[in-house]
Amino acid sequence: MNLRRYHFALWVLFIAGLFLLPWFVSKGTLRTFIFANYLAIFAISWDVLSGRTGYISFGHPFLIGIGAYTTAILTKHFDVPVEMSIPIAVLATMLGGVIVLVPALRIKGSYFALVTLALMELMYQLVQVIRPDLTGGTRGMSGLPTLTRGAVNGYYLSVTLMVVIALSMWLLMRTRIGTALSAIGMNEEAVSGSGLSIVRLKMFAFLASAFVAGLGGAFYVHYLGSVAPRALFDINMVFTIIVAALIGGVSTIVGPVLGAFFLTFLLEYLRPYLPGAERYLIYGSIALVLYMYQPRGLIHIATGVWDRLRRL
Amino acid sequence: MQKTGAFFAAAMAAGLMATAAEADVKVGFIGSLSSDTGLSTLRGAEVAIEELNAAGGVMGGQKITLVAADTQEDVTEGVKAYEYLAETEEVDFIISGSIDDVSLGWLPRMQEFQIPTLDTWTSYIDIIDMIVEDRDTMAPYFMNIASDEALATLYINFGADVLKAKMGFDSVVILAEDTAFGDAITGLVTDGLAPVADIEVKEIITYDVNTVDFAPIFSKARASGADFIYQVSSVNSQVISSQYVKLQVPMAMTGVNVSALGLEYWDDTGGAGGGISTLSPIPSVGFPLDPVSRKFVDDYQAKYSSRPKVPHFNGFNAYHGLKQAMAAAEEAGGFEDVKAWSAAMLKQDLKLEKDGKMWLRYGFWDYDTKEPVTGRTYPHNALFDLEAPYDFAQPSMVVIQWKEDGSVGVVYPFEYANTEFELPSWVK
Repeated sequence: MNLRRYHFALWVLFIAGLFLLPWFVSKGTLRTFIFANYLAIFAISWDVLSGRTGYISFGHPFLIGIGAYTTAILTKHFDVPVEMSIPIAVLATMLGGVIVLVPALRIKGSYFALVTLALMELMYQLVQVIRPDLTGGTRGMSGLPTLTRGAVNGYYLSVTLMVVIALSMWLLMRTRIGTALSAIGMNEEAVSGSGLSIVRLKMFAFLASAFVAGLGGAFYVHYLGSVAPRALFDINMVFTIIVAALIGGVSTIVGPVLGAFFLTFLLEYLRPYLPGAERYLIYGSIALVLYMYQPRGLIHIATGVWDRLRRL
Repeated sequence: MQKTGAFFAAAMAAGLMATAAEADVKVGFIGSLSSDTGLSTLRGAEVAIEELNAAGGVMGGQKITLVAADTQEDVTEGVKAYEYLAETEEVDFIISGSIDDVSLGWLPRMQEFQIPTLDTWTSYIDIIDMIVEDRDTMAPYFMNIASDEALATLYINFGADVLKAKMGFDSVVILAEDTAFGDAITGLVTDGLAPVADIEVKEIITYDVNTVDFAPIFSKARASGADFIYQVSSVNSQVISSQYVKLQVPMAMTGVNVSALGLEYWDDTGGAGGGISTLSPIPSVGFPLDPVSRKFVDDYQAKYSSRPKVPHFNGFNAYHGLKQAMAAAEEAGGFEDVKAWSAAMLKQDLKLEKDGKMWLRYGFWDYDTKEPVTGRTYPHNALFDLEAPYDFAQPSMVVIQWKEDGSVGVVYPFEYANTEFELPSWVK
């Protein structure tokens, strides 16, 4: 697994820092952290699939949406308790992961990306057309049960979820399966030639990604207390997830977390100075410059600085 | 060194004293900063704040400051914006120019934070129903535009009095955009047109808000065999209306076209907007103003040179509503005691007269009073009147029509009309 003591020391420091945070920052900042945590979960989910295997998904909200809508419908219309609706939502999302897997067995590259984009669009249309009495149609659903009240509770729930997912995925990706998934991204034919089952590996990646997306989507909707198709199945949502992973550093798990935190805070800190859409121009420019400066992401900038410090 | 220390101590003390004296009332604006809708509310609030501050402030001389949070008309951004105003800026009162979907997104946060909030654009009746069902957590919420049910009810009267009685139309085809707003208005109008106005709904055609070519949709509408088109459009509305004019579609078209609510409509359509009529909350373009509202528009135009040249109805709602919120806070001793503020807000009642006649009324329905036409209650919703002669309050809406020479006027209700509803020249 190639694990070293300092890995765990860094994780402990990171987790301790996150859990102590409410003592040092305002409630407003904690709210920003909550959104950053959920974006980190979505970016990790994307990274497990696209960052590793190279199957770039433009339709990740399709999976997040299945998780979000399943638990929303179950709790709102069928009075299913949240502790049951969320596991069901995750299972439904994993089923959705299998749907995404099907085209991946035959196509790759930009064709796969376009198919996933179409899946997201399809989902956007479906929730409005199929049983709008259940999905809320174009308006979506509001008044959903929320799991927490207040910034501190919401923060602890989201950060616990994010840390558990990040650590689990980080450990998983350091196993032989993780290595094999990365190998698919580098040379699928070579992996197949080495006797490994590409189909099984892909299925594992898609299901793991869907599991994380479903879990994140379900908790996210019970944080917001509402769900709307235009807010979820939107190209901006896709780009935010992908940019978070790219800026942070793909195929690293920790990178997407850093990217999500960086992007969310950048936008929120610009808000008082540029309350309108101008802040997205600054946000986009900074993201572009960062990506051009270090295409491997913030994680590689951080490790570069760490290496230099160790050499001093 | 001692002198320097004394100087800094004095400066700090002066600073602290100044801070104490400037214990501002902080107002938060939530809405889109890049739409005429959002800007109307924002600017209406700004003009009101400027006037209140110039008059010495509120609640013992406190100055009002305003902080804006952009929603980009996106639900999740709306939640973030509300949280930002509540927990980072810690505002005392929030004024909203949000569209319906966005308001529904942040409503759970309003219930959680219990910050007095006034919605000036959202008209979704289900929010009023939430107030009926849950007085406690919805106490801080007020909506000072007539709810969409009230808008639709009076519009159906327009269907009966004008479209059926005067124009002789028997059937309609509905062209509705694929949005929450489109869905709600279509449902309300469909349910009412047939039984009340005796107009048969032949077909409902739903289109995507990004549609750029309406020729096939108009062809389908014609093929339905209906007498006229009812459009429901709140996004990119100038596209459907300008194409209707340019294609000279040989059917009458009326309904809801949000772009036609602004003075910029004529320029936005390149002059191709003649004949379009739309339901509009009050005051609309073409609606004669009382002296108080006229002065607000004059002050607005002196202050702002960019669009919207004249605030939409929600700008007026923001202007009067913010002043009423502050008056309620004066009575309740501030915004902290939400129940007291809510009770005081419920009592606000501003009657504006024109030529000796009650013209506009800014007040709210209480919990118990039933509106006589619909027979239901509308707590915390703006007062409206659904029956002539409209002596209780203004009608929930008017129908305005843009003429082919670029002028615009009110065609319904007749008591407020200053022009007549007419078919475009190519339809005649």
